[in-house]
Amino acid sequence: MVVVEDLRKSYGTFEAVKGVSFSVSGGEAGGEIVGLLGPNGAGKTTIIKILTCYHYPTSGRASVDSLDVYEDALAIKKRVGYLPENAPVYQDLTVAEYLDFIANARNLAGGLKKERTDWAVHECGLEKMYYRGIDTLSKGYRQRVGLAQAIIHDPEILILDEPTTGLDPNQIIEIRELIRRLGEKKTVILSTHILQEVEAVCSRVLILNEGRIAAQGTVEEITKGMKGEVLFHATLKGADADSLKAGLPEIPGFRKLLSATAAGAGAVSVKFSMDPVDDGGERIFDWAVGRRLKLLELAQERFSLEDIFVKLTHEGDGK
Amino acid sequence: MTPTTAVFRKELKSYFNSPIAYIATLFFLVFSSVWFFYIQHFFASNSASMRVFFSVMPTIFTVLVPALTMRSWAEEKRMGTAELLLTLPFRERDVVIGKFLATFSLLAIMLALTIPVPFSVSAFGHFDPGQIVGEYLGILLLGAAAIAIGQFISSVSSNQISAFIFGVIVLIAITMVSQAASIFNLPVWFAAVLNYLSLGYHFESLIKGVVDTRDVLYFLVAVTLFLYLNTKVLVFKKWR
Repeated sequence: MVVVEDLRKSYGTFEAVKGVSFSVSGGEAGGEIVGLLGPNGAGKTTIIKILTCYHYPTSGRASVDSLDVYEDALAIKKRVGYLPENAPVYQDLTVAEYLDFIANARNLAGGLKKERTDWAVHECGLEKMYYRGIDTLSKGYRQRVGLAQAIIHDPEILILDEPTTGLDPNQIIEIRELIRRLGEKKTVILSTHILQEVEAVCSRVLILNEGRIAAQGTVEEITKGMKGEVLFHATLKGADADSLKAGLPEIPGFRKLLSATAAGAGAVSVKFSMDPVDDGGERIFDWAVGRRLKLLELAQERFSLEDIFVKLTHEGDGK
Repeated sequence: MTPTTAVFRKELKSYFNSPIAYIATLFFLVFSSVWFFYIQHFFASNSASMRVFFSVMPTIFTVLVPALTMRSWAEEKRMGTAELLLTLPFRERDVVIGKFLATFSLLAIMLALTIPVPFSVSAFGHFDPGQIVGEYLGILLLGAAAIAIGQFISSVSSNQISAFIFGVIVLIAITMVSQAASIFNLPVWFAAVLNYLSLGYHFESLIKGVVDTRDVLYFLVAVTLFLYLNTKVLVFKKWR
């Protein structure tokens, strides 16, 4: 159970997190995978550093299992597994020595230590690299060593900062599979700027922008709650892109043109949002007929997380 | 395993997995022996004393100790491993003491390797074993204080080169400060203060073969003070 209330953090005069509140409850039934999504500099890493007791918040509260990050840092550190950004590892140690250090730090000993180490090594696919120096490993394997380190003590809460950066597509699939498996029983909080990652593994998402939460909920909730807009995709023939751009706002209920691209043979594909009316399709059809345009294709689309992300993270810029 | 032990073992492994420990040990042994036998002409000196061997130690330490401690925190920060280390279930003091003990052990191993020197010359005269033990005690205390200072400097430096240079300057200053009292015509009370603060002065006092508790206490206070300051630097950085 992670609770964050009106959290703020300033670095000098720069305020990286500007009043963020959310909570993540593991639930008895099993775990939950929550994604912190946002562009670079949105405050994801700062929130994570506060939750893992690496930095103190400037104001507000953050707690893990009712333990406060300021008062009970040691107890929190014991129950959290953490993979920092870029998976820092000791390059002058071997994988075996490194994991031995982490296991000692986690106070694992004897048979349990061996069992947990073997499990983490197996889960992260590190068997062949076990006796290699970490400085000889590729970025992908270092990332896996970092992940093995984070799960070795079987933590109830796992916090991963950009767990798949720098991995190749196959490794990304493997790591996501592992995260999904861990998330069945544990609370996982991961940060990412990759939208597909959230759609692929997270049951819930917090979209952060410029130190604030721009949206939160399940992917479906966020998509639905998109200020009641519907999205249409249409391919029209009989006018060029510029005159379409000028003409589209004539449709009753039209809101915003998202894209207009040439679709070949004099046709133009447009994507735009409209008020949530039942007869949106009819309105577009009538407008096209009125303008003597040929409607080659018309479809109502669901907002993808990508559209939402772009929309939310650009709204503050005044664009 | 206690947190301090875990950090201690990891630090020692890091030392011996990298060339730094071997290079530093070699430098130390060669330099101290060359100094003793060739530069100071021990065999021609007609004196059954190891004093000249030990009196060069503070000077060697001004370079040797920063070379051992420069990586301590600066490298952790540069590699990002400080974040890992400080989010493991350790208290700040566990990590600081673990790191300190690892470097101190390395230095103790180096000093142990010099034990053949007094043994090899013992046949040539009547050495006072008590004095030699006192001298080893003094050098260990001096080393401990220098390591605590170097480790603290590493914690406030952004990279190991500046940690090294800054460490050398500070150690030279506080080792040599007592000589300022004899070079310049300083007021007596001021010279006394400088002497009291100087690492070299207390060390000179110890290697005379008289173990004075005031000198021992001085070194122990210096170690405690700088390790404490080191933990405060870590806590301060959480607020940054």
